[in-house]
Amino acid sequence: MLGRSPIARFLTMPNKHTDAEAALKKLGQHLRLGWAKKHPVSDKSLESVKNTVREQWEKEQVTERPSKPAPAPAKDKSRKPEGPDRD
Amino acid sequence: MEQLIKLVKTYRLSSGLAERQRLADAIVRLIASDLCAFVFSAIKPHAAEDVSQEVLISITNSLKTFKGNSNGEFWEWCYMITRRRIYDHLRKKKSDRLQPMPHEELLDLVDASAQAAPMTAADRHDLEYALKLLDSSKPECRGYLWNHYVIGFDYGEIAEEQNLKYDNVRMKIGRCLDEAQSLVS
Repeated sequence: MLGRSPIARFLTMPNKHTDAEAALKKLGQHLRLGWAKKHPVSDKSLESVKNTVREQWEKEQVTERPSKPAPAPAKDKSRKPEGPDRD
Repeated sequence: MEQLIKLVKTYRLSSGLAERQRLADAIVRLIASDLCAFVFSAIKPHAAEDVSQEVLISITNSLKTFKGNSNGEFWEWCYMITRRRIYDHLRKKKSDRLQPMPHEELLDLVDASAQAAPMTAADRHDLEYALKLLDSSKPECRGYLWNHYVIGFDYGEIAEEQNLKYDNVRMKIGRCLDEAQSLVS
């Protein structure tokens, strides 16, 4: 029971902004809905998106698979450098 | 709309080209109307189309780098990119700024929304009330009410954009709403 405490008055007090806020938000929803109805996403936009994804994907393929260096003859690291014996 | 963040998360994980294209297509279909409506509310129509296109491409290009995990975070991120593209354009061409969106254009969109989904008498009453609130506001207040309630920016985003403190914006918007309500009633 909250009685007539200030908290009770605060909790039961109607928010004077509520109607106006709700109406403005509803306007936003309807404008977006109306916009979508009047201007559906164009094929051109969707095509650009598709191309963007492809370009990005192609770049990734290049960076993920760096070109391998030409195969070099296997070297035995323990082997001494070749060359004339200077002793 | 939880579907949106699921698509984004799947996109981040997908590696196949066809799969990514399918996902990007589905994501763009879900976000395009909101973002393009925002662009068209800020820039004159002849330029807004190109900027909208740039926005969708920028978002697609950056989908892999999006770090968030919720719809809210994703929308915030999309609007951040959209605002940047709008500012980039307006920096180059100030004369393309459109403010406010003309009343006739708003009515036109409201009518179009009624074709998309039936509108009750109560809805129509609310929308007329909302338009009166905007029309009766001074330009600065109209901008705040528009950005916060109609477009959906939170106080923090508006504060950042306007270089103001969060509480300052919150109080300004509250005062603007009070003023508009008193003028309409």
